[in-house]
Amino acid sequence: MYYKFNGFTQRLVGAAASTAYNPQGLKPIVSTESPALVFGTTTKLASDLPATDSFLGKNQVPDLQKLFQSDSKADGLPVHLKRGVPDKLLYRTTMALTIGGTIYCLVALYMASQPRSQK
Amino acid sequence: MAHQAHSYHMVDPSPWPIFGAAAALLTTSGLIMWFHYSSTTLLTMGLLSMLLVMLQWWRDVIRESTFQGHHTPTVQKGLRYGMILFITSEAFFFLGFFWAFFHSSLAPTPELGGQWPPTGVKPLNPLEVPLLNTAILLASGVTVTWAHHSITEGNRKQAIHALTLTILLGFYFTALQAMEYHEASFSIADSVYGSTFFVATGFHGLHVIIGSSFLTVCLLRLIKFHFTPNHHFGFEAAAWYWHFVDIIWLFLYMSMYWWGS
Repeated sequence: MYYKFNGFTQRLVGAAASTAYNPQGLKPIVSTESPALVFGTTTKLASDLPATDSFLGKNQVPDLQKLFQSDSKADGLPVHLKRGVPDKLLYRTTMALTIGGTIYCLVALYMASQPRSQK
Repeated sequence: MAHQAHSYHMVDPSPWPIFGAAAALLTTSGLIMWFHYSSTTLLTMGLLSMLLVMLQWWRDVIRESTFQGHHTPTVQKGLRYGMILFITSEAFFFLGFFWAFFHSSLAPTPELGGQWPPTGVKPLNPLEVPLLNTAILLASGVTVTWAHHSITEGNRKQAIHALTLTILLGFYFTALQAMEYHEASFSIADSVYGSTFFVATGFHGLHVIIGSSFLTVCLLRLIKFHFTPNHHFGFEAAAWYWHFVDIIWLFLYMSMYWWGS
């Protein structure tokens, strides 16, 4: 019995031998080595981002992972306030809007429920 | 330090659910104040707070998953179930409007002239802009699949290109549909024809806008390296939603635009 991984249900399901011998996602081996540098021309360092790949900068995910997981911040700050001041400002604005709005809503509904005064 | 002995995500206390409920209250009562008292203050507050809640809630989900690593395979499975159930509920939502359309169009009343389209209603030509819109959405389904394959193969540049193309096609559809709405010879007030047509296509258009926004957020996350070739459920959810929007359009096109003309 052969099996393959169904990406939709995230489970192993039965498969034919042909599928097992040609696994999904297996690509022919392509050399990832860059071609030999030619020293007749000016050589760019590998660390310089070539123009075709400078798509909006470097990967900041590892830094953010450190920020959000750092044990120094195991001070019990919930995730919605983890970044400090900007989070607090946004939170307070939202709270002001919703709580203030709810009070305004109750007042407006109270007034709307009053019988119309004679004009 | 205490560690959990299970693979589920016990979330931090969060204010967004109750703020979201309050925002819904403000939006609905705001609609009442607008309709009956011509005042838009409450409605504006409602929509603004709804936007703020959505931004912060989903921002937190990204923090919990990409930055804190809480989305284990178990958690992801739950999210998959959730998205499927949500899309199913949306399918039922549209089913209602299709029901209304067929109820009125299969047996047109004498008030409509006993025919469908009703007497005096000049329907849109299904072989003009609506056909183009069909092609656009089908093409966007192809490009979003291309983007998915690029992500699983680790080809970031191609994925960005494909996803950008998908979003542009979505905008093109919306722009064309808005133009069609403007140019149509009938309005929502034109008998049950206008009602069924504009409510169904209108909600579909809203879903296209929602889907485009979802895809745009995915594009931003893709650019910021949030997705890995093996773990990119946010993108998959957006792609499922987009395919759903495409399928609804196909049904709309076949029934209201083509059969109904």
